Amino acid sequence: MSQPQVVLRVASDPRVLSTVRGAVRGFADANGIDRDTADRVVLAVDEACANTIRHAYGGRSDRLFTLTLRASDRYLEFDVKDGGKPCPESARRKKRPKAPTSIDDVQVGGLGIPLLYEVFDKVEWIAGASRGNRVVMKLRRAQAKKG
Amino acid sequence: MALTIETAKDGEYYRVTAKGDIDLYSSPELRSAILKAIKRKEGVAIDLSGVGYMDSSGVATLVEGLKSCAANHQEFVIERPSDAVVKVLQLARLDTLFKLRREGA
Repeated sequence: MSQPQVVLRVASDPRVLSTVRGAVRGFADANGIDRDTADRVVLAVDEACANTIRHAYGGRSDRLFTLTLRASDRYLEFDVKDGGKPCPESARRKKRPKAPTSIDDVQVGGLGIPLLYEVFDKVEWIAGASRGNRVVMKLRRAQAKKG
Repeated sequence: MALTIETAKDGEYYRVTAKGDIDLYSSPELRSAILKAIKRKEGVAIDLSGVGYMDSSGVATLVEGLKSCAANHQEFVIERPSDAVVKVLQLARLDTLFKLRREGA
């Protein structure tokens, strides 16, 4: 079973996202993730946190959410939990769209959740008894190790 | 790194040069600069050579700029995209959507 390694209580203020990215990159480096994979992981975790700020908390900057970083033998886990507006089921299952053939095929926005599925081996939405969202993003360690 | 934006007319284009990180916090500033550039009714060039990080809000800003320019028959070019920009566009499968100029005008 994974043990928590880093637990961050994060203000729902976009200004802190750069700090979150630094923490995720540090965790990735400490756990032997190669640079390219770490870049993707930082991006995806940033997207998950940005979704919390923008959608779960409606852009309010006075809320808190939790980012937990865990490492087990099999996975590196990035766990984002908030107490805000639940993410619609339809949005949670949104996978990456096909490459557009024309500009008319492209929407402005809506790329955040698809990026999670693109980067991580597993994306699990955890139902809880209380209000809010919890998404656990898992990266298989065998793929993440530095060469 | 904090985002800085400079704008300048350059021949047939109005260039918006962004340096730093483009994320949920800073992308509105880039959006504002791009929309102002589009209102000039010239070609719009976005120099992203100095961008160390860009998330999906940055991508959405670029998509919005591209669509607005297309509707107004204006050219929209991304100049010298950094590796970070190229990678996120590739991840989003939008790298072929934009006109990318590897060298500056």
